[in-house]
Amino acid sequence: MKKKLLATLLCVALVGTMLTGCGNGSSDSAGDAAGQEAPDQAESNASDASADVSSDASGDEEAEIYMFISGPEYADFINELIEEYKNVKPNVTINYETTQNDYPTMLKAKLNAGECPDIFASTAGKEIEVYKEYSYDLSGQPVQEALLPALQASFVDDSGNGCYAFHYVGDQYGIIYNQDCLDQAGVTSLPKTLDELVDCCEKLQAAGIQPFACGYAEWWVFKQSLIPFLTESVDNYASFVADMEQGNDSLNNHEMMKDNMFQFVDIVKANCESKPLESDLATAQAQLATGKAAMGLGMGPWAEASLLAINPDMNINYGGYPVSNDPTQCQIAAGASQALRVNKDSENLQAVLDFINWWFTSDFGKEWLANLGSVPAVDTNGVYSSEMVKISMEDMAVNGAGNIGTTYSTDAFWQSFGESFQSYVEGSASKEDTIAKIEQNWKEIDGAEQ
Amino acid sequence: MGRKKKEYFDSVVFTIPAIFLVCVIFYIPFLTGIYYSLTKWNGIAKEPVFIGIDNYKTLFGSASGFLTSMGFTMKYTVLFMLLSNVLALAIASALTKKFRGVSVIRSMFFIPYIMSMTIVGFIWKFIFSQGFAALYEKTSMGFLNWSWLGSSKLAFYSVVFVGVWQSLGFYIVLYIAGLQAVPLDVLEAATIDGAGSFKRFFMVTLPLLKPSIVTCIFLSLTNSLKVFDIILALTKGGPGDATYSATMDIYREAFQKNNYGLGSAKAIVFFVIVLIITQVVMKLMDREEGDTAKKRKGGAE
Repeated sequence: MKKKLLATLLCVALVGTMLTGCGNGSSDSAGDAAGQEAPDQAESNASDASADVSSDASGDEEAEIYMFISGPEYADFINELIEEYKNVKPNVTINYETTQNDYPTMLKAKLNAGECPDIFASTAGKEIEVYKEYSYDLSGQPVQEALLPALQASFVDDSGNGCYAFHYVGDQYGIIYNQDCLDQAGVTSLPKTLDELVDCCEKLQAAGIQPFACGYAEWWVFKQSLIPFLTESVDNYASFVADMEQGNDSLNNHEMMKDNMFQFVDIVKANCESKPLESDLATAQAQLATGKAAMGLGMGPWAEASLLAINPDMNINYGGYPVSNDPTQCQIAAGASQALRVNKDSENLQAVLDFINWWFTSDFGKEWLANLGSVPAVDTNGVYSSEMVKISMEDMAVNGAGNIGTTYSTDAFWQSFGESFQSYVEGSASKEDTIAKIEQNWKEIDGAEQ
Repeated sequence: MGRKKKEYFDSVVFTIPAIFLVCVIFYIPFLTGIYYSLTKWNGIAKEPVFIGIDNYKTLFGSASGFLTSMGFTMKYTVLFMLLSNVLALAIASALTKKFRGVSVIRSMFFIPYIMSMTIVGFIWKFIFSQGFAALYEKTSMGFLNWSWLGSSKLAFYSVVFVGVWQSLGFYIVLYIAGLQAVPLDVLEAATIDGAGSFKRFFMVTLPLLKPSIVTCIFLSLTNSLKVFDIILALTKGGPGDATYSATMDIYREAFQKNNYGLGSAKAIVFFVIVLIITQVVMKLMDREEGDTAKKRKGGAE
């Protein structure tokens, strides 16, 4: 009997080792990826962009806030904010951690491990609903009242209620121009229509300047540069997206999506480097900043610092995407694409709320928000710290702002959208195939979730 | 009897920690994975919804992308196994000859294997884009200006090439060890019987090398089925979705498209496929090896 038991146990152990050997492929990819990456990244991030602000002063309401958010480009600013808060509330410790790469995966790993950060991030718009069961409704809090209406609209749930998030910057999509290149080629004003864009490209080519730094190796460049073609064609973008998800509408019903969008991609393809699908963000920014190329796609004011770091003397100009031959439709898109959320089950909920309200209403906080060098989230009374924000605010005062739109679909969809367009740029998919693929993905990836 | 009992007891006790760890790290996640494959779950919601075998139905539909990525993995596996084994064997035979600097060359082939896959991927990404561009300006050789990572056909070969380049050293070492174990007297006997170097290699060395070949083929098979990091670093599955391997497709489904249920189903199906392939290959190899062993025995008689 004992022998049998032992034999069975040994067999199990043996089969176990064998299966682990053979089965690596399946379980590794799904399970370990999250588990392994998370601590590694956390560590590497801890070294370059994290602040562990602790204070030794003792008091009665000690609290610890764990803040795990994306957007490492603002790490220095946030550290500054946390430093200051140490003076306001010495007993509150804020553990700040950030990462750019694969943030959603790491967040999910944390959520499933049962440790929800007190402050975490998601995209705005559609994802508000996805994380709703974890998020605190900020309605009526001072922070909600401070946010600009355009941003508040990005933080409501599917039924249009509540305020499930906040954010310290707004977002914009437009074309960044290297003004020196335009001057050199004799282009006097930024192109507002597709015809003017073609004309502008011809002038730049004649002057020996590559017109576009496309960045088409990045899937999100397609998302951020083609969204105006979608939002400008329809009056109610949210209901258009809902129709697309149900399969009740088609890109073919809208001329601007069916023709202009592909025309734009064709213009870019004909006027960028010979290998557009190998141009990533770093390459595109380097070309744009050094004047090798005149127009950068898919970027917003967040890119200004990187561009100026490459070339401090770069003469930046900024405008909307020409989507048709009607210049009034060439607008910079604005809104909030990211959202910071408060964990509603946080142990220190009140401390977290106090911190956020201080962040958005105190004098220090207001000044901090105005000096981020990005699109402000609150009314800053005309004070802008960045050149591009100033240009965009002036532009929007004249032309109005476009709908940011991208937040109505998940990044999973946008990634497939970008991949479909990469196939189109490569030439392995026709325009009809690309449209069919996008429509199918809209239904299957986002539509299936409801 | 008392001593034997104690021995049994010891064996059981000593295997318990291993069994426990294997269970916690492998079996339990595997079983929960099977459960999740029967649910609709986005990885965030607290309660997954049970939907039966629907995930398996969508999986084999055209839209899920699993079959195309499986096709890519199969193509990659065949090419990778072929190239890495043939090249490694050829280079290993050359490197078992005695000439100056042979050990330096051996270690040069082995160095890429020590580097992490991701780093190798990034190095080659740089070479394929900026490196080739700079070389093209100097030499204007046409192939340097091809879009090695930007067109779907070439991207496939780039991925295979980098994969083979990285792991070649490992198989070379295995083959060198095998080649050095070939007894010299047999080779001498063959020479006396009038076999040329060509015949000597194919009729004597190769059959005697079978154990190394079996090991290398099996290792290259499992490694190529699992291919992930090189592709992630080189192309991220692009351009379009031309270079998504099965493992990357599972990752994309679960972590980027937020379909943990469908992702788990894909992982389970992939697991079964890998299990079948490896078992079949192992059986074939066993039989081959058995045959030669029998032949050798017969010859001796």
